[in-house]
Amino acid sequence: MPSLTLLGQSVVSGLLAGGLYALLALGLSLSWGLLRLVNLGHFALAFLGAYLTYQLGTVGGLAPWTAVLLILPLFFALGVGLHAVFTWFRVSEFTSLLVTFGVTVIIESLIQWYWTADFRRYETPYASLSFRLGPLYVPALELLACLTAAALALGTWAWLRFTYVGKALRASAEDPAIAAAFGVNHRAQSFLLSGVAAAYAAVAGGYIALISTLAPSQMWAWLGVVFAVVIIGGLANPIGALFAGLLIGVSESVTMAVVAPAWAPLVSFSILIGLLVLRPGRA
Amino acid sequence: MLLEVRHLAIAYGDAIAVWDATLDVGDGEVVAVIGPNGAGKSTLINAVAGLLRWRAGELRLDGLDLATVPPHLICGHGIALVPEGRRLFTHMSVEENLEIGGYRGLARRTRLQTLERVYGMFPILRERRRQLAGALSGGQQQMVALGRALMAKPRLLLLDEPSLGLAPAVVEQMFETIRAIHDEGVAILLVEQNVARALEIADRAYVLEEGRVVAGGPPSALLLEARIRQAYLGIR
Amino acid sequence: MSGHSRRVAVGLVAAGLALSGLPALGLPAFYESFLFLVFFWVSLATSWSFLSGYAGYFSFGHGAFFGAGVYTTATLTAGFAVPFLASLPAAGAVSALLAVGIGAVVFRLRRLRGELFGLLTLAITFVLATIVLNTRIDGGPGVYLSAVPLPRLVASPTGTMYLLGLALALLSVTIAYAVTCSRLGLGLFAIHDDEDVAEVKGVPTFRYKLAAFALSAAVAGVAGGIYAIYVSYVTVGETFAITVPLYVVLMSILGGARHWLGPAVGAAIITASLYAFTGGNTAVLGRAVVALALILVILLLPDGVVVAVLARARAWRRRDAAPLTVPSPEAPPIATSHALRAAPVVASLDSGTAREGARAAAVLVCEDVWRAFGGIRALRGVGLSLGGGEIVGLVGPNGSGKTTLINVISGHYSADRGRIALDGAPLAGRPAHAIARLGVARTYQIPRPFGHLSALDNVALAATFGTEPCALVEARAEARTWLDFTGLGRRAMALPGELNLHERKFLELARALAARPRVILLDEVLSGLNSAEMGSAIDLIQEIRGRGTSILFVEHVMRAVLELSDRIVVLNEGEVIAAGRPDEVMRDPRVVEVYLGKTHAA
Repeated sequence: MPSLTLLGQSVVSGLLAGGLYALLALGLSLSWGLLRLVNLGHFALAFLGAYLTYQLGTVGGLAPWTAVLLILPLFFALGVGLHAVFTWFRVSEFTSLLVTFGVTVIIESLIQWYWTADFRRYETPYASLSFRLGPLYVPALELLACLTAAALALGTWAWLRFTYVGKALRASAEDPAIAAAFGVNHRAQSFLLSGVAAAYAAVAGGYIALISTLAPSQMWAWLGVVFAVVIIGGLANPIGALFAGLLIGVSESVTMAVVAPAWAPLVSFSILIGLLVLRPGRA
Repeated sequence: MLLEVRHLAIAYGDAIAVWDATLDVGDGEVVAVIGPNGAGKSTLINAVAGLLRWRAGELRLDGLDLATVPPHLICGHGIALVPEGRRLFTHMSVEENLEIGGYRGLARRTRLQTLERVYGMFPILRERRRQLAGALSGGQQQMVALGRALMAKPRLLLLDEPSLGLAPAVVEQMFETIRAIHDEGVAILLVEQNVARALEIADRAYVLEEGRVVAGGPPSALLLEARIRQAYLGIR
Repeated sequence: MSGHSRRVAVGLVAAGLALSGLPALGLPAFYESFLFLVFFWVSLATSWSFLSGYAGYFSFGHGAFFGAGVYTTATLTAGFAVPFLASLPAAGAVSALLAVGIGAVVFRLRRLRGELFGLLTLAITFVLATIVLNTRIDGGPGVYLSAVPLPRLVASPTGTMYLLGLALALLSVTIAYAVTCSRLGLGLFAIHDDEDVAEVKGVPTFRYKLAAFALSAAVAGVAGGIYAIYVSYVTVGETFAITVPLYVVLMSILGGARHWLGPAVGAAIITASLYAFTGGNTAVLGRAVVALALILVILLLPDGVVVAVLARARAWRRRDAAPLTVPSPEAPPIATSHALRAAPVVASLDSGTAREGARAAAVLVCEDVWRAFGGIRALRGVGLSLGGGEIVGLVGPNGSGKTTLINVISGHYSADRGRIALDGAPLAGRPAHAIARLGVARTYQIPRPFGHLSALDNVALAATFGTEPCALVEARAEARTWLDFTGLGRRAMALPGELNLHERKFLELARALAARPRVILLDEVLSGLNSAEMGSAIDLIQEIRGRGTSILFVEHVMRAVLELSDRIVVLNEGEVIAAGRPDEVMRDPRVVEVYLGKTHAA
């Protein structure tokens, strides 16, 4: 049985890791919940964002925040473009899964082609920065990622809850025909939402570059965890995604400390499978 | 004439639901369309609301050809729909449902005042403004649906089977409200299976049978019309 | 064996014999290796399509079954010195068991279709990979099979592998052909188009999905076993990579996931194309091109290359066929057409079908049936009976529970309370396909034919899964007679999408009749038809009754209800408020009130 300090540290690490999961899950949860389209490409976009941040940082000398700000509009456009393809071909929810599966592989291959399969680490002065909380270490970058996730989750929740556009999005998701009868332009909104979700991927990507080691095949490793977060948190539920992320992060981390590190990935997948099978209704 | 429908034909794929519908609604009038189930009444009103496209014929609002207007802009011209079965946004609160009604243009600028008036008309909704719309009773949901449509400040209000699934006492109340709305000068096109109620409130009525308008005129004339019995009950 | 089957069998045998002669030609080992890969992918892709292509349950977890096979063989041969060939059936069995285990849970859950099934299977693959990686099965370093003796079928090892691969590929394709020609295949195709309707028509959907899944996994497992020996060093990373799930999906979709030869064609094309990208950086780009191809094919050629080519050929052959009939939008005014029917109405009222009591042994009996959805009580103590050869009309305002009653009787929903019996046998609690077997058939208000099956196969399916199960050949012959009966004889090979509404409604009728039911439930079969079409539908219904089938029909077109019904049952808000002879019931004050309000009832 590990010591209290070790347990405490693993909870802290878990919470921070969970924050990053939530950050990645936010965009996916939004687009799947409000557009009824499953965008597997979200992961690839995030990793593309990570690699671009890395590239702009190591080769271009740009600070990570600047890099992310620079790529945000590009990603927004990518999101809009992808949705344009979906609309043009009248893609169904299931077909979107297949198509974005292909998009993910394409982006992964392009990443590998340009940056090779070698592991890459984006070294920054902030990487070693950490705070002390009693006997526990809290790495600064991870904390920042977690706080960003919380801020974005809250911001998104507030946007959906209080603004007119947010309410219109929610209404459209539930009954697009009647929402249109009251003036809600579903088409225009879907493009907006797609762009926003892709922008979220860019932000997540920036943090991934700062925190994790990059390798093209890594994006598949996140797939299971993030889908688990999205489904457990509930589609289009930003706060739910945040808490689900934290929950899964902590469970994984504690499993790693108490059982064995190699079994950690099993946690999220098992929760996902259990949830899919046992949950009474979807989202 | 506020609304002119001329020889409208509407189909779902190749299943023709309305063969030939011609009717008028004047400013401030209450016009009822009655007829048995399956006659095409809901289809007709959905087309006027912009939910369906029509195959043939004309639909004009104040002279404007509605075929040229995309569905989400129809509301802005002064048409609001209370759909069959309410079709509220069940995962949103009562107040949010009402707010969506006031989404478009002119309605948005004055929406706070309109919201106050709607609450004045349906005080119980003010009490339940933060509750999820799906949690309300049938009668209350109908109020929300009516209120949502009123938020759009329509010139023409479309009511699709408002009495469906409601207890008789609630139906009574609801028709009172409809009368009150009419008194404010809003034109109403009402589709109803319940002949008695519809003819009580209407200035004029049409009978729709198997996708065609087969009779029309003041309620008093239609009430005596054997046509109605035949349409609904099949017997002379 | 039919002519087509004979030709296919000959073709397969000939191809098999020809290809097995290759090692004897003494060509460089490269050819055998390359073709082995083609055969390998043919087996994997074809096996994937058994469930995912035919039944539409897209699985992203084919890698799990493949991996299970790989590691079963690896463990048995390297760990327990089991002879390689003996390990292959074990590999297949383990994978099949895994599939059965997963399917037993997942296929019972209605909401786990479509993208959720795909996600679930993907997650299971990752779980399996983690388990294999962390236990003694692999443990991390991988498993070496270089010491495992290879059976010597021919002199060279590559030749042996080639022959093994060929054998598996031929087996897979043969199984695929056999399935597509069988009842199992027809049932799977129906599940793909509309699982609920398939169930109601008598297809045992759960069993069939499970069978297809197990079969698919078994072949994948054997392929995995062969692959293990081929590479002679297996790791979790390689085995459970995204390659297998991605490629089988692409190959099947490219070639055509519903056709028995589709995946094989797709596998051949992709393997050959990928060969052009071997080595170094181009292999990576090759994957990108493959993925792009997948996207393009999904969007532009959703049915695959093979089907597109065949469809082109068929259309070219049918150029000179008769044009489709179009319904005339003109219809005579209501009054006159009603007058035309006046005589028959009077006649049938007099020829006296009786009160309920005098009915001889009732065929269908409902007693005190209740059904609620959430808080809404759709059926509240509904009771009715249907006698042999009787036509009962079920009427009532919108929302009165008519369609719900039909859904409950046919087994789409279960009754909360009450008794439903057919010829005395209780129906409550039975799955829909069992109810269909006993003799209850129904039509849908909006026709729900199986979109990818011809009219003939739509009807043949009902015949073969109906009350008198028979072989497909007989079912198709019988289907022809039913199509002729409903006037669709010339449209037997048409797809439902090529039929107009009138024809689709009659197809629904033919499909219901082909099951040789005791009772037919008709749900608004006349809606959307013009007067002339309605007339012929009414005639047809009377002919059906003439053959002894009992009919319960829901309808709004009142003149038809009065003309056809021996008795009428009126529902309002889930309760029966009147029942009896048509002319009496429709003048009953309570009924008039329900429809027209109190003032008319007086």
